[in-house]
Amino acid sequence: MQINVKIKRFDPEADKRPYWADYTLEARGSDRVLDVINHIKWEVDGSLAFRRSCAHGICGSDAMLINGVNRLACKVLVQDLGTKIVVEPIRGLAIKKDLIVDMEPFFDSYRAVLPYFINDDPPPPTERLQSPEERAVFDETTKCILCAACTTSCPVFWTNGSYIGPASIVNAHRFIFDSRDQGKLERLKVLNQGSGLWRCRTAYNCTEACPRDIPVTQAIEEVRREMLWRA
Amino acid sequence: MYRGREGQWAFVLHRISGVAVALFLLLHVIDISLVMFGPEGPFEAFLVFYHNWPFRVGLIAVIAAVVYHGLNGLRIIVMDFTSWGVRYQKPMWYGVLGLTAIIGVPVLWKIVPEILRGA
Repeated sequence: MQINVKIKRFDPEADKRPYWADYTLEARGSDRVLDVINHIKWEVDGSLAFRRSCAHGICGSDAMLINGVNRLACKVLVQDLGTKIVVEPIRGLAIKKDLIVDMEPFFDSYRAVLPYFINDDPPPPTERLQSPEERAVFDETTKCILCAACTTSCPVFWTNGSYIGPASIVNAHRFIFDSRDQGKLERLKVLNQGSGLWRCRTAYNCTEACPRDIPVTQAIEEVRREMLWRA
Repeated sequence: MYRGREGQWAFVLHRISGVAVALFLLLHVIDISLVMFGPEGPFEAFLVFYHNWPFRVGLIAVIAAVVYHGLNGLRIIVMDFTSWGVRYQKPMWYGVLGLTAIIGVPVLWKIVPEILRGA
């Protein structure tokens, strides 16, 4: 079938502001949006810039604003969008070129929550054991692929770029609730700052946007209650 | 416009109704405080002025804003302080909208005829 694709493009060296580029092409319903924009780049206009790597929903490179919602281009089928597709870069981060945004502020916030295992006890001779129940507490938040679909769907983040964002809180949750970890208080201290966890206004865009189906708002609320009652 | 779902619109309405009620409160404090110049004069003039129909329609909006903001505030408290609230945020929001509409019926019943009569 014939589809119409509108892509918001911007080359900081040539354009004053972003503009819409229109492409009409043949596609199958079973094509993914990534296939469509790959086709545009390879066959129509090689100057189109976007990130992609694994193309199977794991690397988290190709988060885009597709038909008004943040998603991974490699996880959306044309048949679920219809014949009109609108693709924009994710919001709240500076556009470097076309669909590529500067992810550094996003990763700065991620690094700020100390997203790694902290335990100063000498390593035991065997593994640090954990029961299945203890593991289940943070199971969902282990699934994050750092695609930024959640953080850049957040109205608070759009207007206040210093907000630490849902992705960072999800990754803090993953370690805060790990029974083997000892860095909880340090992380909560980071999240308790003015641009931290309390900025969340429960708009649920993050939860709706997550391509890994992480219950993001639930995780944020759990960290808040941990801070309130047990920190 | 980002095509967010129930949660986004709950947040947007909560913010708009909150700002609206805060502005109304400011105006209300100013006009009530005019009574210090006596029950007649500017105080009375304001009350008469408020009987113009745009303000009567605005009154309906303010009441709706207060009711929505209050009920959605309860929804937010449930989400913040219970382990299950987040799971029921959508039905709770529809409940908030429904209750706001139900409470709005007697308000409309009282105010709309007054507007139509020009009272």
